[in-house]
Amino acid sequence: MDLTTFVSQFISGLSVAMLLFLIASGLTLIFGVVNVLNFAHGSFYLLGTYFAYQSMQFFDNFWLGLIVGTVCAGVVGMIVEFFFLKRIYGRAEEGAFQLLMTYAFILILDDMVKFIWGPEYKTIPKPELLAGSFNIGSVVVPLYTLFIIVVGFVVVLLAWYFLMRTDKGKMVRASSLDREMLGLLGTNVPMIMTLVFGVATAMGGLAGVMAAPLRTVTPGAGVEVIIDSLIVVVIGGFGNFWGALLGALIIGEVLSFGILWMPEMATVLTFIVMIVVLVIKPEGLLSPKATGRK
Amino acid sequence: MKRRGLFLIVVVMLFCSFTVAYGAETIKIGALYTMTGRGGQYGKDSEVAIKMAVDEVNAKGLPGGAKLEVIITDDKNPQYAVSVAKRYISDEKVKFLFGIISSAIGLAVTEVSKEQKVIFIGTDHAATDLTANKFQKYYFRSANNTFQSMMAGAMYLKDEVKGWKKIAYIGPDYAYGRDQWMELKWGLDKLGVKYQVVGEYWPKLYEPDYTSYITAIMKAAPDILVSGFWGGDTVSFIKQAKPYKLFEKMKYFHVDAGGNYEALAALGGDMPAGIILSARHHNNWPDTQANKAYVQKFYKAAGRYPSYAAEGAYVGIHMIAEAIRKVGNANDTEALVKAMEGMKVQCPEDPSGFTSYIDPKTHQIVQVQAIGVTVKNAKFPPAKYMLGNLKVYPADKLWPSFEYIDYLTKQKGK
Repeated sequence: MDLTTFVSQFISGLSVAMLLFLIASGLTLIFGVVNVLNFAHGSFYLLGTYFAYQSMQFFDNFWLGLIVGTVCAGVVGMIVEFFFLKRIYGRAEEGAFQLLMTYAFILILDDMVKFIWGPEYKTIPKPELLAGSFNIGSVVVPLYTLFIIVVGFVVVLLAWYFLMRTDKGKMVRASSLDREMLGLLGTNVPMIMTLVFGVATAMGGLAGVMAAPLRTVTPGAGVEVIIDSLIVVVIGGFGNFWGALLGALIIGEVLSFGILWMPEMATVLTFIVMIVVLVIKPEGLLSPKATGRK
Repeated sequence: MKRRGLFLIVVVMLFCSFTVAYGAETIKIGALYTMTGRGGQYGKDSEVAIKMAVDEVNAKGLPGGAKLEVIITDDKNPQYAVSVAKRYISDEKVKFLFGIISSAIGLAVTEVSKEQKVIFIGTDHAATDLTANKFQKYYFRSANNTFQSMMAGAMYLKDEVKGWKKIAYIGPDYAYGRDQWMELKWGLDKLGVKYQVVGEYWPKLYEPDYTSYITAIMKAAPDILVSGFWGGDTVSFIKQAKPYKLFEKMKYFHVDAGGNYEALAALGGDMPAGIILSARHHNNWPDTQANKAYVQKFYKAAGRYPSYAAEGAYVGIHMIAEAIRKVGNANDTEALVKAMEGMKVQCPEDPSGFTSYIDPKTHQIVQVQAIGVTVKNAKFPPAKYMLGNLKVYPADKLWPSFEYIDYLTKQKGK
C-alpha cells in the first residue's frame, strides 16, 4: 500500500472515529456516573439535529444552530433525567426499568420529531467556510472532515481538563465511585447526576449537529448510530471516557482499512474486534474501576 | 288473490332496493406500510395517495354501490407483518392485502396471501423475486421491480455512455442491494458489453458514514460507479462524496432509486449536476396532464411533492377498483385474479400513447423506464435539481424476461 492510500484511509478512519467518539463518550459518561445504560442516547443525537435545523430555519446560521442543537439536547436530557429516570434509581429491578424507560423514550422522541417536523428528509448545509477541500500531496481532505477531527480532539482536551484538573470534575469522578459518601460530605449528588446527564446528552446533540451536513436528517437516524456507539463503549470499557476514545479510534480505523483490503468483510470486522475484546478482556480495554450506586 | 301477489312483489322489491341502498358493501383493504423511522416518509406518502385514490374510486362508484375502505398498520418487521396480515384476513375480513415497502416483508406476506388465497397488491417493494422465482398467483405488483430498472440501466450504459471499461458498485448489504448489481451485470452481459469490475462495496443499510468507502472507491478509480442505495443512504453518500470530487472523477450511475424526489429534495443545491439517475416515478416527467394533475393533487393534500412510493399505492387502489368493476363484486377471488391478468392500468408515469399493463404470466406491472441526468430545475422546491435529458426505454424490452427468471431461479431457487 502506498503512502497516499494509507494517509487517505487513515484520515477517513479518524473522521469516522471522532463522530463515533462524540456520541459514545456521552453514552459512557452516563453509564459511568449515573449508572444508566441510556439506550435513548441516539435520540438526543437526533434532537440536536432537529433543534439545529429549526434554528437555521429562523436565523440561517450554522454556528448558532450548533449551539442551539447542543444546548437544547442537553436541556431535554436534564428534563428526562430529573422527571423520569430519577424515579427509578435504587429500585429493585432497576436495570429492567432503565431498559424499558430508555427504549420508550426512543419511540416517544422519534415520533415527536416526526410529529413536529414531518417525515420528509431535512437538509442542514455546511457553513460556507468549511465547504471546500484541500490537498495533502495527492490526498483530498474536505475541510469539514478536518473540522470534525479538530472538534473531536478539542472535546477530548476539555474533558480531560474538566475531569482531572477541576474540583467539579473531581466531584463527578467521586460520584462514580461512591455516591453515598459524597452525599454525606455535603455534595448535592442528585444535582450532579442531572448535570452529568445534561452534559452527556448535549454531547450527543453536538454530534448530531456536526454530522447533519454529511448525513440524512430524518426520523430514525438516532437508532442507527446507537449500535456502533455501543460497540465502541464495549471495546473501550463501559463507563470509561478514555475507553470510548480508544474504542472509537479502533473501530474507525479497522472499518477504514477493512474497506480497502476486505470490502466484503468490512462491516463484520468491527463485530469481530468486539468479540475478540470480549473474549480477552470482557470488561473492556480500559476497564473502569468498580463502580455502582451505593 | 292477484292483488295480494302484486303487493308481495312490491314489498320484496322495496326490501331489495332498501338492502342495496342501505346495506351497500364496504370492501376492506388491509394495508401494511413502514410508518416510522427512515422509511416512514414512504408510508406517509402512500397513505396520502391511498386516500386520493379511494376518494376518486368511491366518487366514481363501484358495482352495487360498494365502497372501498383501507386500514393501514405499521409493518415493523416480517414476523409482525405476517401476524397483522393474518389478523386482517380472519378478523377484519379484508378482501385484499396491500402495500409494503421492504422486500423482506413483502416476501413474508406473499406466503400468507398464497396460503389464504387472498390477493396481495405490492405497491413499493422492488425485489424481482416476487414476480419471478417466488411468483404465486394471488400476488400482483403496481410498481416496477429492480430488474426493469437495471435492464434499462444496462441499455443506457451501452448506448449513452462512451469509452468506459472499469466499473465498481456500492450498495446496501442485503437482497435489494445485491440483486441490483446481479441484474445490471446480467443485463450488460446479455447486451454483449465488455467491462472490468474494479470494486464491490457493501456497507450496511442505513450506514451513517461512507467516508472510508469513498476514499477506497477513489483509489479503485472506476469509470462508472454504480450505486444501489435508496432514500437517506443516497443523500448521505452524495453529501459525503461531493467534497472528495468523486463526481468529477467518475460517472455516478444510480437508476433504481437515485432519482427519487425525496433525495433530490433533501440534497437541494448539494446535488451534483450531470449524474445519471432514475426513479419509479418522476414529478417532472412525463409532461402529461395526468402526471401534472396527480402531482398537484398530492401537493394540495400533503403540502409537499410526492416521493415515488405514492404512485405505486395510488395505482394499486385503481387496479383493485378496475378489477371489481370487471367482475361485479369483490368476493370472487379467482375471477378478480383473472380480471387483473393483462389489465391495462393508466398510471401518472405513463407517457403519451402508452398505458402500463399487468403481465399475465408474472403479475408484474410493465412500464417504460426513463433515465436522465441531474439538471438545474427549481420548479419542485425544495429540490433544486431534477432529472433532464431523459432517455426512455420501452416497457416490453424490459419485462418479462423469462431467461432472467430462469437464471434467478437457478441462483436462488423457487
